[in-house]
Amino acid sequence: MLSPTDRAPLAIDARGVRRVYKAKPKPVVALDGVDLQVEPGELFGLLGPNGAGKTTLIKILTTLLLPTEGSASVYGFDVARDTRQLRRIMNIVSGGEQSGYGLLFVREQLWMFSQFYGLGRSEGWTRVDELIEAVGLTEQATQKVSSLSTGQRQKLNLARGLLNDPWILFLDEPTLGLDVSAARGVRELVEGWQRAVPGRTILLTSHYMAEVDQLCDRLAIVDHGRILAIGTPDELKKRVQSESIFRLEIDRLDGELSAIGRLPGVLSAVTPAASDLDHDADRQTVVLKLTLEHDAALGGVVAELGRRGSSIVALQKSEPTLEDVFVELVGRGFAESERNGDERPAEPDQVEDDALVERR
Amino acid sequence: MSVGTVADAAQRTRRQGLADSWRGFRTAARLGWQTEANWTDPVLFGIYSVAKPVGAALILVFMVDIIAAGNADPALRAFVVTGSALWSFVIAGIAGLATSILDDRERYRTLKYLYVSPNSLLLLLLGRGMARVSIGAFGAVITLIIGVLFLGVPFDLARVDWGLTLIAMTLGLLGVLSLGLVLAAITVQLRQDAWNYPEAVAGALFLIVGAVFPLLVLPALVQWLGLAMPLTWWLEGVRQGLFPGSLSSIGGQGAVYTELTGSAAPGSAEIVLMLAVTTAAMLALAAVTFRWSEHSAREKGVFDMITGS
Amino acid sequence: MSVYVHRRTHSPQQAARWSPRRVLTTNLRSIYGRAYPRMIGARREPSWVFFEIALPFLTTSAFVFVYRALQAPPEYVGFVVLGGAMTAFWLNILWMMAAQLYWERDQGNLELYFSAPISMMSILFGMALGGLFMSSTRAAVVLLVGALIYNVVFTVDQWLLLLLVFFLTMGALYGLGMVLASFFLLWGREAWHLSQGLQEPVYFVSGLNFPVARLGFLGVLAVSTIPLAVGLDAMRQLVFAGSEHVAPLLPAWAEAGILLIMAALFIGLARWMLRVIERLARVEGKLTMKGT
Repeated sequence: MLSPTDRAPLAIDARGVRRVYKAKPKPVVALDGVDLQVEPGELFGLLGPNGAGKTTLIKILTTLLLPTEGSASVYGFDVARDTRQLRRIMNIVSGGEQSGYGLLFVREQLWMFSQFYGLGRSEGWTRVDELIEAVGLTEQATQKVSSLSTGQRQKLNLARGLLNDPWILFLDEPTLGLDVSAARGVRELVEGWQRAVPGRTILLTSHYMAEVDQLCDRLAIVDHGRILAIGTPDELKKRVQSESIFRLEIDRLDGELSAIGRLPGVLSAVTPAASDLDHDADRQTVVLKLTLEHDAALGGVVAELGRRGSSIVALQKSEPTLEDVFVELVGRGFAESERNGDERPAEPDQVEDDALVERR
Repeated sequence: MSVGTVADAAQRTRRQGLADSWRGFRTAARLGWQTEANWTDPVLFGIYSVAKPVGAALILVFMVDIIAAGNADPALRAFVVTGSALWSFVIAGIAGLATSILDDRERYRTLKYLYVSPNSLLLLLLGRGMARVSIGAFGAVITLIIGVLFLGVPFDLARVDWGLTLIAMTLGLLGVLSLGLVLAAITVQLRQDAWNYPEAVAGALFLIVGAVFPLLVLPALVQWLGLAMPLTWWLEGVRQGLFPGSLSSIGGQGAVYTELTGSAAPGSAEIVLMLAVTTAAMLALAAVTFRWSEHSAREKGVFDMITGS
Repeated sequence: MSVYVHRRTHSPQQAARWSPRRVLTTNLRSIYGRAYPRMIGARREPSWVFFEIALPFLTTSAFVFVYRALQAPPEYVGFVVLGGAMTAFWLNILWMMAAQLYWERDQGNLELYFSAPISMMSILFGMALGGLFMSSTRAAVVLLVGALIYNVVFTVDQWLLLLLVFFLTMGALYGLGMVLASFFLLWGREAWHLSQGLQEPVYFVSGLNFPVARLGFLGVLAVSTIPLAVGLDAMRQLVFAGSEHVAPLLPAWAEAGILLIMAALFIGLARWMLRVIERLARVEGKLTMKGT
């Protein structure tokens, strides 16, 4: 029991977590000494290519798998020992999930799962109807689960994950296989849930960089079972590019360009070569590429240009992506990393039945 | 492109089609073997393949022995052991195709991909079912051997009518597979829990085809039903082929067959003829049922349905 | 309060603290919850009426006609009818419960069950309960229709003991089924195939169609290990009281005692094994299997 002076436990506290699968011809190291601390209330992302170990880590944290070495706890509950308590406060939703029973209606399926979390009979139906409305499945409530589209199915899965009002929600590639609109819908639901119930934690795994960039407070980049870097999206991008780079299009430039380069906070101001520009014969504009120490320095440049009588036609910030960060850390991109599948530890779905593997 | 070249291309395509079909069948058979037979080591696999039919045969042998107080007629023993042994072949044949449908749709989720491939689903199913048929045949042979060696089934190799046995087995295999196709066609329309329905059907057929008791014990109407089944004539054919002159499942005093024909038991030619006719009828039924089921499945969109309860 | 919030708790530690009453009610609700899809499925797809009742009745009838062909005493027809009825429950336990975990894993349901705050025993019992309607209907049809058509005469003079034996047999069978479920969890396909292959041998040693005492030592072994064998032997004595052909191994009350011990033993063993095997499955990573 915590005393008033104790710090509230971390939402996730993993130390030296290793997971090795027995496989032929040699054991597969899916996680290789993972240290991870997530604060309560964070939306934390695990970003990495397929086979990086994200799903393995989630399965350990959700008590479905035991670590070979190391320890992990969720809100102070050890994943190996305190499974009963932990299962009462968490839930998991996976991408492409096809769980449940196809003959049931949406309402019925959710109600069934509500019973597994101890909701009363009528209490369960009420909660189910509320969640169905919240996730936007009202029209599908009396439709068979087997007839749902992929996007609708994932909304159903998300509703199932929220039935027990978990303190921590594990989302394993929740937008996998969804179209743009459906993926956006799921992301909005996730954000909406976190806003509505502050203090709840989400661990999200994904290999979609934009998704992690948009949603996560902090993220870890994972590859080959190891965490390569942890930080906020901005912090990680600054590893690749600490300066602020802007592309400024103005109607004219009077005076010396070099003077702009000498303004406070401006590291360089150049006009890109003609070959680097999009030529538009009707547009008489000048493009400036500015490298600044920080975003605030832009104000000085704009003021100077305004003083010279220039008008800004367009302004664009050039930012590195999380893939740039990954490349910086690993030396190759996601796609190349996935192509080199034979070098990577397999996720559990590739090393399932030892009997099958042995006898093939 | 000239007519001649088109004809050549069509000819090449047809030849390729046959080659593709054979390749598809062969691949499906190999797949069936791998999914049915690679779950354990060979010794355990052998025991599994044999335990079920031998267990079934022992139940019947004991039933006979108990009633006969240990003085069971060897002919009767042979009758039940043969019927029981061959029945494992029937179960394997009809279950193999139907459960392949459910396995591929619900567990492996590949049925839709198989369906949209250029190969005929029918051929692929038959290929998949071959593994179970082989396992069933293996079980049947071992049970017969055990019956001869340990259960007092009288057997004289010199008296075996190989011709009748071979023809009966060939036509019988067609009959069993046709029945399997009918069930597979029905299974497509059903949910995952239907995996044990083929065994239930086999159990019901057990009653009417003279597998472990002569048809004459049954009411006349049921005997007619039995006589219309290829399995009845197949069992009779294999019995008379392996054990010539043994107790007939079709004829006898009080049997509909004997009342119609005046003979105590059908002859070899009659058995082959009736087996061929009934098998052809079953093949036709299988073709019609399969076609209907395929059309219905496409209408309802059940090739990738996931059910289960 | 937001629609997402279900019960206001101040901390995860508070939310994780459940009273024993809440643990019990959750597990009881889970039993019904898991039975629910099976009951709905039976209503929505009534093909089971034909395949799981009508056809198995015909299978039982086949064995009736074997005895008729052998001109056996009429009690033997009754033995077959009784055995056929009890088969329904055994099959429900083996295939609707124990083996079901094999399917559930592939569908992705198993990991959701394990990550929920309930006992796997509740889920297993729910599966069996869901199928109980079908198997009870099957047993009733075989018993009543079989008795009617084949002129089986039941002579029961100890109804209470008969009911006790029946429920003890069910308890022991369900306990055994849960033990088997743990094997299915660990061995998957091997367990599936072995169960299929051993179905007839189990029928044989259980004396489904004849008194198990006729098997000699094998019968004694069966009565001491297989609940179906003990239960059938006891029920035969009670349902055909006074018949010389029943040939019981032990008096019915003694067999009731054996069933009680078996029920307690199997249920206790199941609880322990499910825990041990769950841990083993977590070590080896066999709880989850991505189907797609």
